[in-house]
Amino acid sequence: MLQMRLACTAWRWHTGTQWIRHCPATGLSSCFRRTYVAYPAEGKRGELDISAIPPERIRNFSIIAHIDHGKSTLADRLLELTGVISKTGKNKQVLDKLKVERERGITVKAQSVSMFYEHKGQRYLMNLIDTPGHVDFSYEVSRSLAACQGTILLVDAAQGIQAQTVANFYLAFGEGLSVIPMLNKVDLPTAEPERAAKQIESAFEIEADRILKISAKTGLGVEQVLPAVIEQTPPPSGSEDKPFKALLFDTWYDTYVGVVCLMAVKDGSIRRGDKIVSSHSGTKYEVMEVGVMHPEQTPTTQLRVGQVGYIVCNMKSIAEAHVGDTFYRDKFPVEALPGFVPAKSMVFAGVFPIDAGEFDRLNESIQKLTLNDSSVSVHKETSAALGQGWRLGFLGTLHMDVFRQRLEEEYDTNILITSPTVPYQIKYRDGTFKFIRTPADFPDANVMNDYVESTMEPFVTSTLIFPEKYLGSMLELCTAHRGELQNHTFIDESRVMLKCRLPMAEIVTDFFDKLKSKSQGFASFDYEEAGYDASDLVKMEVLLNGEAVDALAAVMHKSSVVVAGREIASRLKDVIRRQLFDIIIQTTANGKIVARETVKQLRKNVTAKCYGGDITRKMKLLNKQKEGKKRLKRIGKVDLPHEAFLTIVKRAE
Amino acid sequence: MAAARVPLSLYVHWPYCSFLCKFCAFSKARVPSQGVDHERITNALLKELRTCLAPHKDKELRSIYFGGGTPSLSLPRNIERIISEANKLVPLAPGAEVTLESNPTLAEVTKMRDFKLAGVNRYSIGIQTLNDDSLRKMGRLHTGAEGLAAVDRAKALFPGRVTFDMIFGFESQTLRQWQEELKTALDHADRHLSIYQLTVEPGTPLFRDQRAQRVVLPSDDVQARMYEMTVDMCLARGFRHYEVSSYASHPSAESMHNKGYWRGQQWVGIGPSAHSRFTDPTNRQRISSVRIPDTQRWAQQCERAGHGTGKEFVVSDAEAKQEAVVFGLRMLEGISDEGFMGVSGGQSLTGYLCMARVQHYIDEGHLSWHAPTACLAPTERGLQVIDTILLEIIP
Repeated sequence: MLQMRLACTAWRWHTGTQWIRHCPATGLSSCFRRTYVAYPAEGKRGELDISAIPPERIRNFSIIAHIDHGKSTLADRLLELTGVISKTGKNKQVLDKLKVERERGITVKAQSVSMFYEHKGQRYLMNLIDTPGHVDFSYEVSRSLAACQGTILLVDAAQGIQAQTVANFYLAFGEGLSVIPMLNKVDLPTAEPERAAKQIESAFEIEADRILKISAKTGLGVEQVLPAVIEQTPPPSGSEDKPFKALLFDTWYDTYVGVVCLMAVKDGSIRRGDKIVSSHSGTKYEVMEVGVMHPEQTPTTQLRVGQVGYIVCNMKSIAEAHVGDTFYRDKFPVEALPGFVPAKSMVFAGVFPIDAGEFDRLNESIQKLTLNDSSVSVHKETSAALGQGWRLGFLGTLHMDVFRQRLEEEYDTNILITSPTVPYQIKYRDGTFKFIRTPADFPDANVMNDYVESTMEPFVTSTLIFPEKYLGSMLELCTAHRGELQNHTFIDESRVMLKCRLPMAEIVTDFFDKLKSKSQGFASFDYEEAGYDASDLVKMEVLLNGEAVDALAAVMHKSSVVVAGREIASRLKDVIRRQLFDIIIQTTANGKIVARETVKQLRKNVTAKCYGGDITRKMKLLNKQKEGKKRLKRIGKVDLPHEAFLTIVKRAE
Repeated sequence: MAAARVPLSLYVHWPYCSFLCKFCAFSKARVPSQGVDHERITNALLKELRTCLAPHKDKELRSIYFGGGTPSLSLPRNIERIISEANKLVPLAPGAEVTLESNPTLAEVTKMRDFKLAGVNRYSIGIQTLNDDSLRKMGRLHTGAEGLAAVDRAKALFPGRVTFDMIFGFESQTLRQWQEELKTALDHADRHLSIYQLTVEPGTPLFRDQRAQRVVLPSDDVQARMYEMTVDMCLARGFRHYEVSSYASHPSAESMHNKGYWRGQQWVGIGPSAHSRFTDPTNRQRISSVRIPDTQRWAQQCERAGHGTGKEFVVSDAEAKQEAVVFGLRMLEGISDEGFMGVSGGQSLTGYLCMARVQHYIDEGHLSWHAPTACLAPTERGLQVIDTILLEIIP
């Protein structure tokens, strides 16, 4: 199974009976933020008193798992077990509304939730803090994990460890969390719990006898889960006597009250009316309401040290709420918690309306979609070929695809999204740097010669896990993508874990698809950023009948030029339909022509027979073709299909 | 003097064939093993004719066309009943064209004289190709020589009123072969020819063969060359190209019935799967209708309800304008502003079309504008790629 997966779930309490994961229609942002019902179910309006529970009886934990390994199902069971939701048998993690969710099997963002649990005669407050599962959001994951002291490492007993499991384990490990290993789906006929346990043992140095064996679906062994969490997770540290200090680890936008922040209180306490300050921006906010998610927003009198809850504080824009930010009480500044980094775009793509008249409407949409997701960066861009549009920056390819699908669903065929690129960097001789968001930013030959010291590209460290028999083809794949192999280890008798350093540019397009096809779906993949390295970059331009088309230009590594230049020319030849004149396609780099192709003039296009009965058919066809023509973008005299703008950077097997 | 009557055409669909050609996408069926129930089909056609022609009694019939299927498999006396019944409902105009399609197989050739006596005055023969191998491969049960013999016999009976169909672009056909074949065809031609490029229509056996790569047809460029050669050779022999696939050696030999379709005139079609386009005299709405395609179901409904109409639509002004341009520009005579305004409710061609694109194609030599008659027409070069041009000039 391929691992470009995000496992975050939006849950909402639905009229008090059903626990549904939900992705609201308000915008993409909802994919990463949750929504909830503004008015809690009857009987839950009153304030909940949680002050009787001391920090020693609080456990903040998360579940980390590979996609489909059963995280959401386990969460459902725990909620039923603690009476947070009723046991109706309907509590299934369903309703993945976004097309991208359905297609990729991802679910988007889970709700954090507070549960009460009796253990050895004591009442415990158990805060389950969910995390996005995908690497695009590894920063968000690390901040969510920073709100926990322990995590359940959930592994499918049939599938064993996958790349995402490894990535998440190391994130948790890096945060110093207690890891509570569990094997799920042990009742499946294909389950191999012994083998999976062995993998966990060898990959993470966790003793096999510590591993719980459960089936979240049937409930088998689920009663051992919370006791294990209580026993193995330390309570949150911190002091009630110190000034208030809290970590913001998640936010979402609510139309009625503005931004809602989820915070973990590290020291002190907070209540309505208090004034708090963001360490990052210095902005002061007045607290309007505090509470816990139980499972919807339930107000409490205060939030105390060790607790995890929500704060509504008159924050108007999601852009003010930075995941990882530290908040303190006004006039009592504290040292900010480590690890805060503002959102950083790793993948860029151009978005253009096919019809320039659609610009304003599209502008509105993009604004709406980014209202809830401050991690999308937006810059206006003007292309000679495509007119006015935007350059959007995303955390990663999945983030981009989710956004792209939202836009396409709304705009159907009327928008054009260019191939993704990565933020290259130019280092000038005077020591300054410049980011290359779009090929148009790339210095021309003169500037290159006179001012540029080096060109640099971003790299990632990737983890691939797959059955041994694919070792050859996986090594080949990485090498073909300019990968630098670091090591490979056997995590059991037949599965290999491969570590490889790859240029980011190599994985933003079809790397995943190739990985999947070359391993017949058995390889999983995950990656983390690994900084910039000097790299010989060039800009490849595409000329159509002698004229450069800026929207088809691409920045690439020098070694790719010949192959890519031929590829691009031949792919363009395949996608450009014959027109009433010859179309000459040339790719050039460094002032030299790399490849040339010709789309020959169309000599004949006329329906031979057209009598009475053919008229209706002919008119239907004509209107269908006219519809199709709307998808074309005319550059000079040449009509380019949508696919033409996606041919760049893609490469053949 | 009475006002000129509005012209109307009649299309009569005969649903049976003695063999099924691999490329044919028309509605048809092989003759049933128990034989055709001629009486039942004819009675159903007559019933439908009465129901559907009656509202048009103030118009006049300019043409009748017996198509199919293979209408030459019907009985001449039944053809006669249909013609005379039609004439009773809507008068046949003087010089009205009455065409019957025929196969060149022997049995039908012998019926030719009887069809003439029944009132048919134009004979259209499906030769398709003179190459016996191609004929066999396409599932046709006659030879090239039989085809030519049928043409010669028809010419004797219908002098100046014979046409036949030829198709180019068969599997493995070369330019040279087509040139030879066309030369022979022109040697035998009367005053009209229909010459088509083989079109692979979805749903035909040929379509499936091509998709499965059992059949490889000449490349687009070779087919284009065949088309160009056809135009040139016909012209050299005095046959003027007047529509994409139609050639005539004299304007009077051009198919009146087919030009009716291309000029957007009204017609009523009867028989299974037949289409109609007419203006409803009661409310002036433009109607498009299609009869039930299945012969049995069509006949049952005719018997029960007096007509076998399956679907009926109102044609919007926008659709009518599109159609007028699409079909008008299939003819080298083009479309006149006057003709267009007849369907557009007064909007002129120049007001309707994307004139910047029209001008572009005029500059490129694909279209021409004849100012005195206010007529937009394709050039030979333009006609060859008219489907591409239409996409650009129609708003």
